[in-house]
Amino acid sequence: MSRYSRQLTVLFWIALAGAPLFLDGWNLSLLSQLMIYGIFAMSLAFIWGQGGLLCFGQSLFFGIGAYAMALTTKGMIPGIPAMTLAGLVLAVILPALAAGLLGLALFKGRGLHGAFFGIVTLSAAVIAERLAINWSYIGGFNGILDVPPLRLGWGSWQIELYDPLFFFPVVLAAAFAAFLMLLGLERSAFGTVLRGIRDNDKRAAFLGFETAEYKAAAFAVSGAVAGLAGALFAVQFAFVSPAILGFALATEVLIWVAIGGKTVLLAAFIGALAVKSIENVLSDTLGQYWLLVLGLLFVVAVVLLPRGLLAPFFNIPLPRALRGAEDMLAFNRTIEGQNHE
Amino acid sequence: MEMTLLIGLDAASYILTLLLVCIGLVIIFGMMKVVNLAHGEFFLLGAYAVVLLQQYAVPFPVILVIAFAFVALVGLIIEELVIRRIYHRFLDTILATWGISLALKQLVIVLFGPGSQQATAPFSEPIAMFDITYSSYRLFVMGMAIVITVATFLILFRTRLGLTARGVIANRQMASCLGVNTRRVDRVTFAFGSGLAGLAGAIMAPLMSVDPQMGVGFLVPAFLSVLVGGTASPLGALWGAGIIGGSNSVAAAIWTPVVAQIVVFSLAIVVIRLLPDGVTGRWKR
Repeated sequence: MSRYSRQLTVLFWIALAGAPLFLDGWNLSLLSQLMIYGIFAMSLAFIWGQGGLLCFGQSLFFGIGAYAMALTTKGMIPGIPAMTLAGLVLAVILPALAAGLLGLALFKGRGLHGAFFGIVTLSAAVIAERLAINWSYIGGFNGILDVPPLRLGWGSWQIELYDPLFFFPVVLAAAFAAFLMLLGLERSAFGTVLRGIRDNDKRAAFLGFETAEYKAAAFAVSGAVAGLAGALFAVQFAFVSPAILGFALATEVLIWVAIGGKTVLLAAFIGALAVKSIENVLSDTLGQYWLLVLGLLFVVAVVLLPRGLLAPFFNIPLPRALRGAEDMLAFNRTIEGQNHE
Repeated sequence: MEMTLLIGLDAASYILTLLLVCIGLVIIFGMMKVVNLAHGEFFLLGAYAVVLLQQYAVPFPVILVIAFAFVALVGLIIEELVIRRIYHRFLDTILATWGISLALKQLVIVLFGPGSQQATAPFSEPIAMFDITYSSYRLFVMGMAIVITVATFLILFRTRLGLTARGVIANRQMASCLGVNTRRVDRVTFAFGSGLAGLAGAIMAPLMSVDPQMGVGFLVPAFLSVLVGGTASPLGALWGAGIIGGSNSVAAAIWTPVVAQIVVFSLAIVVIRLLPDGVTGRWKR
């Protein structure tokens, strides 16, 4: 199937862009919501699939983005105008900074790896959630209500995007931009180095690459994209609560990405869309059994299909210039696989 | 003076409780290189076993034995169905056990409902000593934690089974060449570690409200304890639980429990970063 992966990818985006022709307002805003989760899933797929860093606390960056957006647009950050644009900029920069600095702190020198990184990021998300619950300025346990909608324009020439018909294209544009940027990084020399570090970071270090900086940079990019998703989430729901920083969302996004496929961005994106929409349909009929089924499905996906269900359909081949290096990486993987046996 | 004694007892109680949860975790994590995120749910199953069996007026000591055996059996089944397929994929063990934890927790909700249940302590008269009174069941829990820890170490370091298990950990291929059935050792170790979590849940059940979320609360402090203590030896759990539990109790007495957790978790991350092998890591290598 991967012969047609380019065509499938293009078709998927065209279908998504054509959705307003077929869907009513309610379903359109549901689709916007799903795409926000999709952006979030792509941010995790990038750091996990390309960088090999299993981040168990990706919700931390989603939450920072959401809170940054909500606080800015409500004019609660001193010295920063209550504007949509300022909110979006902060919602991208703050999580990127947080991820980059956390990455540098964790990877520099004798850095953390593997499971330790997972547990540390999980703890970081739990700490952030507790902190938000007990910080009354940012709303404490109740969170922030009445986050204003997106405002486009300047001064007295502003329009508010209440209507799902107008909000949808904004989310679609954000999703497409995030997809193109992450895909571009994957297909650049940076992406190849990142995959090299993922497969064997000692060897990459011997070859002279600053592995800690590469990983931290990738982590920052992933944090920025997660923050963007968080900002859109805050606007869509007009509401931010400490729960979006913590454990529950962090593990939900892992499930979407694992089921979709961590190495392929669009597979992760569709994984989020698919799992969430199946959840919307089935949670009525299956009720409590839905989470049971999801948990088991997740185990099956991890054990039997580590590449995910959708990855083969959307895996776009790399540019020719990078293929030599990638063949080398694939060769190394096979050799190391044999050594482990 | 009374205040100090009370805080000291609370700290000891928390440390030993944490140790009770950690000891099974560190066996599975340190010895088998499996990060078992379902550990909290094994704890949960043990607690629900108490709630269920108390309805049939089963005596408490028998309940503890059944809880251990039942959760060990669950562990054995999960090892056979899932874990043995992913021993070589370290990162995937986190994900698979996370899925198992979700499913188990939801199964408990389906069977018992999302609300909290109550388990009754077999005895609860406060005991007066020095100038203070303290719950006798809490003292029992502390005693049990010590007994279980000592028993586990005796099994690991003084029996043939423990020797075999440590042999497999030190060098799997060599142990296999010497005629050790490594599959059997894996199975028994995982079941034993799971059973310990169930036993911990059963012992703790009368002190907590038994609800489907109770396992998660212990997961993060327990994992941080294991990492801070170091995974090279099961002894690390002692240090980790002591450091995390002790500092948490003291900080909670000074500030509030929430601030204490935030501070202690953050410091634990710094310690893990600076000493990736844990505080006991240096002694071993």
